Amino acid sequence: MSEHATANLTPDERIAHCIEHLGHVLPSQASIRDFVHHNTLHGFQHLPFLEGLAAARRLTGAPAWLPEDDFRSFYRNGRIDDADLAAAMAELARITKLDLDAVLATFDGHAITRGEVLRLSLLQDCSPLPLAQLRWRVEEMGVLHEHADLWSACLELLSIDAGFAHPESLLEGSARQQAGAATASVDSEDFTAEAATLWARLAAKVGAGGTAGELIATLTGEDVPRITRALLLRHFGAHLDLGVAPWHNPARAQGFYRAWKDSAMRDPAWRLESLDVSLDDVAALPDDPLEAVLAELTRLGLPEERWEGYLERLALELPGWSGMFLWRQEHPDYMGIPGAPVALLDFLAVRLVVERIVCADIARRHWNVALNLAELGRFFATQPAELLVRHAYHDREGGDLPEYLLDLIEPHLPAAKDAALPALPELWLWLADCIAAWRATPTAEQTARHGLTRSAWPLFRLAQHLGLTAEALCAIGTPGAEALLRALDCLDADQRGYLWLLSYERHYREQILSALAANHGRWSGHAEGPAAQLVFCMDDREEGVRRHLEEIAPEYETLGGAAHFAVFQNYYGLDDTRPAALCPVIPEVIIPAHEVHEVPKPGAGETARRHAGRIAFRQRWRERWHQLTRHGLFAGVALLLVGAPFAFISQLLRTAMPGRFGALLADWREKFDMPVPTRLDFTAPNDAGPATPQAPRDGFTDAEQAERIGNFLTALGLTHGFAPLVVIMGHGSNSANNPHMAAYDCGACSGRHSGPNARLFAAMANRPEVRALLARRDIHVPEDCWFLGAEHNTSDDRIEWYDLADLPGDLQPVLRALDGALAQACRAHARERCRRLYSAPLDLTPDGAFAHVLGRRHDWSQTRPELGHATNACAFFGRRAMSRGAFFDRRAFLISYDPTRDPEGKVLERHLLINGAVGAGISLEYYFSTANNANYGCGTKITHNVAGYCGVMQGAASDLVTGLPRQMIEVHEAMRILVVIEQTIELITAIYQRQPPLQELVGNRWVTVVAKHPETGALHLFDPELGWLPWQPSQAIPTVHESGDWFTGHRDPLPPVLLERPLGAAA
Amino acid sequence: MNCAFVFLLIAPLLPLLAALGIAAHILSGRARGDAAEPPTARIAIGAAWAVVVLMLALDGLALVEGAPGHFTLGAWFSSGAVDIPISFMADGLALGAATLVALIGAVTLHYARNYLHREAGFHRFFMLMSLFLAGMLLIVLAGNAALTFVGWELCGLTSFLLIGYAYERPVATGNALYAFLSNRVGDAGFVLGISLAAWWVGSLEWAAIADWAAGAGETRFDKVQARLLLFGFLLAAVIKSAQVPFAAWIARALEGPTPSSAIFYGAVMVHAGVYLTIRLEPVLLQVPDIMVYLALIGAATALYGWLGGLVQTDVKSALIFSTTLHVGLMFLLCGLGAFEAAGWYMAAHASWRVWQFLLAPSYMHTAAGPAAPAPRWLTGHQWLYTAALQRFWLEGLVRNVLIRPFQAIGRDMRDLDDKVLSHLVGMPARWRAGPRAEGDTAVIVGHGLAGRLLYAIAESFRKLENRLLMKGDGGTFSRMSRVLGNYLLLIESMIEQPRYLILAIATTFIVIL
Repeated sequence: MSEHATANLTPDERIAHCIEHLGHVLPSQASIRDFVHHNTLHGFQHLPFLEGLAAARRLTGAPAWLPEDDFRSFYRNGRIDDADLAAAMAELARITKLDLDAVLATFDGHAITRGEVLRLSLLQDCSPLPLAQLRWRVEEMGVLHEHADLWSACLELLSIDAGFAHPESLLEGSARQQAGAATASVDSEDFTAEAATLWARLAAKVGAGGTAGELIATLTGEDVPRITRALLLRHFGAHLDLGVAPWHNPARAQGFYRAWKDSAMRDPAWRLESLDVSLDDVAALPDDPLEAVLAELTRLGLPEERWEGYLERLALELPGWSGMFLWRQEHPDYMGIPGAPVALLDFLAVRLVVERIVCADIARRHWNVALNLAELGRFFATQPAELLVRHAYHDREGGDLPEYLLDLIEPHLPAAKDAALPALPELWLWLADCIAAWRATPTAEQTARHGLTRSAWPLFRLAQHLGLTAEALCAIGTPGAEALLRALDCLDADQRGYLWLLSYERHYREQILSALAANHGRWSGHAEGPAAQLVFCMDDREEGVRRHLEEIAPEYETLGGAAHFAVFQNYYGLDDTRPAALCPVIPEVIIPAHEVHEVPKPGAGETARRHAGRIAFRQRWRERWHQLTRHGLFAGVALLLVGAPFAFISQLLRTAMPGRFGALLADWREKFDMPVPTRLDFTAPNDAGPATPQAPRDGFTDAEQAERIGNFLTALGLTHGFAPLVVIMGHGSNSANNPHMAAYDCGACSGRHSGPNARLFAAMANRPEVRALLARRDIHVPEDCWFLGAEHNTSDDRIEWYDLADLPGDLQPVLRALDGALAQACRAHARERCRRLYSAPLDLTPDGAFAHVLGRRHDWSQTRPELGHATNACAFFGRRAMSRGAFFDRRAFLISYDPTRDPEGKVLERHLLINGAVGAGISLEYYFSTANNANYGCGTKITHNVAGYCGVMQGAASDLVTGLPRQMIEVHEAMRILVVIEQTIELITAIYQRQPPLQELVGNRWVTVVAKHPETGALHLFDPELGWLPWQPSQAIPTVHESGDWFTGHRDPLPPVLLERPLGAAA
Repeated sequence: MNCAFVFLLIAPLLPLLAALGIAAHILSGRARGDAAEPPTARIAIGAAWAVVVLMLALDGLALVEGAPGHFTLGAWFSSGAVDIPISFMADGLALGAATLVALIGAVTLHYARNYLHREAGFHRFFMLMSLFLAGMLLIVLAGNAALTFVGWELCGLTSFLLIGYAYERPVATGNALYAFLSNRVGDAGFVLGISLAAWWVGSLEWAAIADWAAGAGETRFDKVQARLLLFGFLLAAVIKSAQVPFAAWIARALEGPTPSSAIFYGAVMVHAGVYLTIRLEPVLLQVPDIMVYLALIGAATALYGWLGGLVQTDVKSALIFSTTLHVGLMFLLCGLGAFEAAGWYMAAHASWRVWQFLLAPSYMHTAAGPAAPAPRWLTGHQWLYTAALQRFWLEGLVRNVLIRPFQAIGRDMRDLDDKVLSHLVGMPARWRAGPRAEGDTAVIVGHGLAGRLLYAIAESFRKLENRLLMKGDGGTFSRMSRVLGNYLLLIESMIEQPRYLILAIATTFIVIL
């Protein structure tokens, strides 16, 4: 956000503008029960990928690339080869306008080019070392022994004093003498100018560059965030709680700021923490949060144009909590929690007030000065030496003082609260003088152009890898050496990360595209029409099942589409009290306009009544069982005593046989509840009024149904050649003890099971009225064709069928055959999944693997219930012929699309806008959580603690951690998604040019796009700057009989391979 | 007694050996990568199940032949009049509790095998958990206070190390230290109890202490002595079980992995205090006034746990406050004399809570809706709400009342050391490293040990010379007088401070008494 754009705003507008802007930088993760994958850095998506990640690093300090060491190990393991590296270097050279062929120096007729130096620096670590590490390597590991002459040559060329000053020779006084500094007659005048510059820099940083707390911390070393967190976290949790606590702040309904103030003005914690604030001071705060924000910013003396930056910085100190405040502000009715309005402004107001109280207290204790930039500036103008010493000591980033100086200063800088020693002015002067003296010595490396760690060591390493001898190096001379050093630094950290990523992606892309090219034309569809068609979710996890099904029974055809199946609904299951919005929220939030109820079948009324009674009974007792034993006093104790033996037996059984016990419990539960035959109530009269998200209507009219069915079938390309049985397969995942459960569910149904949508779709498509309307759209569904809904559970690979009772009798044998084949395919798929799970032995049989995944699903100790999307890497939009008969290691989103029936590209346009964005969201979330799990992911699951039902904390008092846990991403390969579209480049270009969202996503390189020509199979890689680049296959792809032959016995990711088996029926 | 009960000795030894085995595994450098995990887990889990089997066998034997109660295996060590044998307690309570501890330990270790897969601290965790089980079994089975104390300390140490499991997070290490130091106060109480028992009872055996209380011991029972003895032991019990006013540490102890939080603070270790109290039943029954205090502490803790639990918004904290409530009720039961009921309550609560804690990650899925609101008469009180949210300020109060004064005394001692004593013995004090420091110049530079030694000797001679001779009379004398002045000033300022006034008064009282 540029400052001049907001220069003319009033203060109020400025704050409002800032809060709007924060929506772009704070994590916008939903409450964890409704976890949906999205681009972690969506706020930076308007920038090109490299710039976006660099901007994020500047704002949050967190790099978004894998560490270089990881990439180096990829190189060693053959996951990146020289060709990849060369291509990536050429790309970076183009972006940065760097001449890689520039000759930096020559020796013995050999010219050293910049490219050579860069390549070496990528493969070998030539970065500067901290002084202590360098000393360790030299003195303890003897790295200089063999190359002593080379080392001295480096020193000589860079005019650096030889050798290290030994730590003992740096003891008291000696450094001063080394520097020849005068011991007496130090005057505060000597430091005035330096201190003034320093203060100007520090004060200017307050704003977008730092908070008051950070300023105070660099001068006193006091851990301001720790103190403020202790005062704040419980209040945050209390306000955002969605139902853990039975008792909330009585003033909660007045908003967070008022509720906090109401509590804080009665809270003696201020005094107990020895903070210099009275309860009256708190009570005197303004009642309005906006006024409070303005008052605090004014009080700090911050220029108005820096307010936005300051608030942003403050919000980003606890990004999880502030992000959740913002998300809840945007979803005011979430979970129907009454009387708890949430606003980010409240959060900022409380945050500012508490920060000020804590910092002002510190400032008073140390200097007896108010917390105001101008007053602090005036104070330090009179105490320049103190400012310099404090800053040098506490600001470890730039300071890096040697140990003897730290020891010298330490006793004079009291860190403990009550131990304020009055330091004497002459003491500060003396210490400042010591620091100045040290700065003047060569080891300090602050004044000279070259230093031991900064230049001599990198040059030494580089010369060795270049094969330069001491003589050769001397021959090159100082200008040559400096040119080499400059070449080492020709790319910054982000550019180097990007370079590595490009080469990593290219290696994989070559394999995928080679496989696609080799597979072109191998399968041209069924000669006589398939025995059945199965529509799966586009999810990468379904690639495996589809492949195995086709291998086992090549007579079936599989298709892939987004598993909302275009029937967006507010779904009321038979036992639900609240609707579930089964529709996507990416790229934009869709609010369904139609409600669908699961109702008992006619004649099942009595069973349903008893079922409802039992469900209510069970749920009531389950709530008591889990909740009353936690917070109840008398009833809680009694229930706990009664329940203890059962809990004890339950945990023994869960430990001994998680799978069987879990299945048994589910079985008992179902028997107890009395299963009710149900149907979906989804049809509205044709003359019903319009349905809107604000006033959702019960059911769809015939026209609406036909429209949705038609749209989806058109998108799939399934408008003709219907098999007698068409299975619509939703999916979902279950896990026993997992806060991130929703992250494993169907992304197209916003983190829920998509079975109900499959069931609804099938029921609609079977209605004669709908089919008649479809025929008008030229979609002729034969009368003997039947749609059947089902759900695939991706955790235990079991299939649940819906409405089997309605299936026409003559299709029963077809279903039996399909069911058998699917059961086999699911077992084979379970076995394929198990190869990536360490606790599953590699030699499992399909049945053994099937039992293993069942146990995993029900195992309460399992932090990895399944792999999730951890294997995703590419997305194919096209006919199944494109990918059928090839093994993609469960890495591809498969979206069915028929390019031959989409002359204007309308169908593809919708595909790319919606499904492309969903795939990109998933892949980018995985990318960032993997590349930097500590900052963009949520760390390890094992210390997670569910907070307020809305997120997880690490331990009992931390920020809400967002992103994916480490357990979800450890097998993921962090790369951007590769989208391959089966369509002509002209058509894709036309779509790209008329769709700004695609220009953002593709043009800014957040995804990579390749076009595959529908007829010739020619591949073109899209570069936003260079346009379409023709691609030629670079490697031969082997062929095996079936996927099991390829993956058996392997734990690691595997390259693609061609398969014979799925093509069997056609051959 | 059936000699089969000798095998009780093995119960704590097995997990101890498992811990040593895992430690050896770690030290061998081979505890890396996925393949190293199963051996570690198998050792720990195997030991736990072996203890379960052993305990079940002994339980069966005890059912048939009757529990042998207290028995001695052999001498451990003796000091003066006090002999400390290796002795065990095998009554119904001990056998039952040990069986439960082993079972819960085995379940938790099983859970951890998957839960901690690929964690950097996997092996460390299993080692510490085994060590903890050894300690806990020792507490439960030990026949005398000294052995119990060994177990007590093992539990305290492993608790500290597991709260700080994620030692890269400052919050975790800070809280680990907080819990550890709080428990050290209890340990001091335990040591006090042990010494008083050795002094007055002449033995550390639980059975001997019971005999003493019943008037059947070798030394005469005395109520005042019993009160002081109980004060020591109960201080340890009250702190270990996180009772008011020492309840704050347990809510800060939730930084470790879920399974260790479950077994330490939810299910097992938190009951150690209750167990110790039940062990002291014979003594307690002789001094009913202490039981009243115990009941009051228990009731206060239960209230604290209940009200605190109502406002907790994260699942682990909510569960820990619930635990505090129940453990408080157990102390209340003990205080009311219902020791056996407290024992059963303890067993039921441990079984329940470990299950609930291990299921905490899916709490939002197992419990569908928001919690039922708290009673109406309560919810409107802003002050009470604030008090509950701030955990009744126990932490701050304890810090201000107990810790700060001690810190201040410690600081004064250091000042005394720096400003007076260092001068007297001629050591360079830290604060003197300032502009007034003498510009020492190195005349000789030494190499090697001999060289450095020579250098050091020469240096000290030179300093002596500097100090005594070269400065002349005036310099030395003026410095001496300054030192003396400082000394007097310091004493004067100390006397002015209230804490020394109180200390002086307290000392006077002690002397008079």
